[in-house]
Amino acid sequence: MTMKSILSKLKETNAKYSMFHAMTGDDDPGDSKFLFSAKDNLTSCDMETCSGSRILIGYRPAFDATSIARMRSAGGKLIGKCNMDEFGFGTFSSNSGLEIPRNPYDLERACGGSSGGSACAAAVFEDHVSLGVSTGGSICCPASFCGVYGIAPTYGRVSRYGLIDYGNSLDKIGVISAKAGDLRKYIHVISGKDEKDPTSCAQPELKDEGRKLKSVAIPKEGVEGLSKDVEKAFEESVEALKGMGVDVERVEMPSLKYAMPAYYVLATSEASTNLARYVGMRYGQQKGDLSLKFDDYFSSFRSEYFGSEAKRRILLGTYTRMAGFRDRYYAKALKVRQVVIKDYKRVLADHDAVLAPTMPFTAPRFDDISRMSALDAYKADYLTIPANIAGTPHMSVPCGYDGNGMPIGMQFVADHWNEEVLFDIAERWEKGFEMRRPEVVG
Amino acid sequence: MKIGLEIHVQLPTRSKMFCSCPTTDAPAPNTHVCPTCLGMPGSRPVLNRKVLEYGIMLAKMLGCKVADTTWFSRKTYFYPDMSKSVQITQYDNPIGEGGVYYLNGKKPIRITRIHVEEDPGKTKRVGDLSSLIDYNRSGIPLAEIVTEPDIATPAEAREFLGQLIEDIRHVIDLPGDGERSIRCDCNISVGKERCEVKNVTGLKNVERALTFEMIRQTKILKAGGKIDRETRRFDEERGVTISVRKKEFEADYGYIDEPDLGIYHLKEMADAIKIKESPQKMALRMAHEYGIDQKAAKQLVSTSVGLAETFESVAKEMGVQNAVKWVSGPVSAGWKAMEARGGSPDEVVPIIRRFASGEITDTECALEIKCAMTGESAEAAAAASGDLEKIVSEYLDQNPGIVADYAKNDKAANKAIGYVMRQSGGRFSSAEVVEAVRKAIESRMRGLV
Repeated sequence: MTMKSILSKLKETNAKYSMFHAMTGDDDPGDSKFLFSAKDNLTSCDMETCSGSRILIGYRPAFDATSIARMRSAGGKLIGKCNMDEFGFGTFSSNSGLEIPRNPYDLERACGGSSGGSACAAAVFEDHVSLGVSTGGSICCPASFCGVYGIAPTYGRVSRYGLIDYGNSLDKIGVISAKAGDLRKYIHVISGKDEKDPTSCAQPELKDEGRKLKSVAIPKEGVEGLSKDVEKAFEESVEALKGMGVDVERVEMPSLKYAMPAYYVLATSEASTNLARYVGMRYGQQKGDLSLKFDDYFSSFRSEYFGSEAKRRILLGTYTRMAGFRDRYYAKALKVRQVVIKDYKRVLADHDAVLAPTMPFTAPRFDDISRMSALDAYKADYLTIPANIAGTPHMSVPCGYDGNGMPIGMQFVADHWNEEVLFDIAERWEKGFEMRRPEVVG
Repeated sequence: MKIGLEIHVQLPTRSKMFCSCPTTDAPAPNTHVCPTCLGMPGSRPVLNRKVLEYGIMLAKMLGCKVADTTWFSRKTYFYPDMSKSVQITQYDNPIGEGGVYYLNGKKPIRITRIHVEEDPGKTKRVGDLSSLIDYNRSGIPLAEIVTEPDIATPAEAREFLGQLIEDIRHVIDLPGDGERSIRCDCNISVGKERCEVKNVTGLKNVERALTFEMIRQTKILKAGGKIDRETRRFDEERGVTISVRKKEFEADYGYIDEPDLGIYHLKEMADAIKIKESPQKMALRMAHEYGIDQKAAKQLVSTSVGLAETFESVAKEMGVQNAVKWVSGPVSAGWKAMEARGGSPDEVVPIIRRFASGEITDTECALEIKCAMTGESAEAAAAASGDLEKIVSEYLDQNPGIVADYAKNDKAANKAIGYVMRQSGGRFSSAEVVEAVRKAIESRMRGLV
């Protein structure tokens, strides 16, 4: 498919998969060197940016996110803003206040989340790269469910200027693509210091000196609670890695089980303060009853336009930083984060990466998701959360398919600032892996 | 009775605390704004480091221990003029803690802490039903100075604030309208529980608000009532405080660390910053060092630190007597005029030097200093004073009775003074006219003319 034919069939394709909330109406690629899409929590001057929330309908940012601006100046044409869980709050992109993306391998199933629309676009369009954002696993999870490659670089590697915040100390912008080589290529494009985001200014240069991934550690805690198909595909992949000359060692990482509760405390604490600004003033939805007192006016918008998961996380996060609970929850979670980082440092001192399956199961059906409790859904992220709370770079690589033909992924976690070994293993893995593309319209 | 103050000082940076919007007066509401100070989704704060420098200067001035590392926190509350519904402020590890300020150089007022934070926008009521919001002020840097409840009376609070503001103005070069950009939250308890009167502007209003509160609380307690911990506001026109809401405790704001800004290591910066001597300390030192009256020293300093410095340099070179005679006298009297025309004290010191060495007389020195202060030429001044003498003498020629009356009652001179003032159309100060008339009458009385 040429860029022109993708653009001319964009509406039609989107009607089938709902990967985009907003998209370009332009079917001429002009001088563009490539097409890309971006998760809808990255601001774009030319398209509405809603972050999956009804409260932001109508928000046309006055500025491009740095990551989008850098893709554009590298010759990219932004074709759409990808559907996602509201503000990133979810594992299946089904917590969207807008449209819910459908899995390219089975339209009755979820794409994963929260960068579901991005993984969907990467799987459906040929030669396509999509920007995703990960807070607790939101790049690796959908990459795994949609059978593509996805990388979340080290926290602070890519400027967050223009990212609509979920948890500022956790959010990372990364790349999703069906081609392993795109990870290296586009992380180079979007990374680097940006004075508009001070947390991007402490990074060392992105190295690219041909360093290879030679060894992995598989934590016992990372292979527990897996579905049979996932376990089988993963173990076969481990054998394949050994065949490629990678040393494999089984280890224990006891801190991993504390990562999840600490993550939900930190992420919701930060999220509840980030969402405080959405009150029906200044941008997004603004038509309300002006005769109300300001706090009633604010509440009316927040009640009406936030989805139930957003409300749940605001409540959780407000509780954990409340007087009397702050030390018990928020302050303690900050300490747990340090313990998890230490555990990674210990294991990564002797190994190039930590390896485990990305998700414990394959993409679930929407009807099964609707029967899940909030806690069941939270628990599904236990494999992706530790690397996210530690801020270490991590990547999902397709490694097999289940009995229904749904993709399975495995996740490599490298040490801070060592994205290079992840690029290496993805590119080498791709050569030996038989990828099945979904059947796509047109 | 216990009184503690929280003093908010706008710091004189050129751009805002977290964005590059200017801090100068804006041509219209909502013109000095950008995505960051409007809290637009996706925007992000970038710290203006000058804010830390000013914070350190004030911490040092107040004798606080400057933190080795400091960071920012988010204080969450909903108000229309708070664009993010989150204020970036400091909670743990503020810039400075544990200082003390000596009121009148004697009474210690302990300083709990000093931290820096961003100012919200402004809400302006329009009629009864609506308000307009102006975000020009949103993101202007503030320092908040918190005192212990060591202040004993409303009058003492005013005195403390007056001295503190004078010191702050000088140490961080706050512009002359500094008092306007200083706001105060006043905590006062007559009994056990305290009330906070928020956002009082101006020294006089601080004293008025506290006095009103003192009387209100005393009355309630005398009647056997109980004071509720609450936040009140001061109605400047009516001079009363009004209950706004039951007071939250600071921890109720659900503070978390600000994840978009890092941890700042202040030690090196703090070591490198040397602060100027504060005016209050300078006055105390001068009184002691030159053996002059404390009030006179304060008078010099509060007129201008530059005047006090002139006093010091004259005293050191030509003796305290000359400094008192000339700097506390005509130089001090003409200081504001000199500042207004952009003059410099360097012009007067050589004149005093010539007097001290006997080169010029007392009268010449006085005249030359006066010229130096106003910027007039000596000839013009001499001619002008000649004019003055001429008007006086002509009037006395026509009204010789005044001289005779003056011998009985010196109020007789008033008639002449009034005439000369009107006649000269304000060219001469009243002191000059009084002096000239008195001299002329007395010399006629002695029969010298």
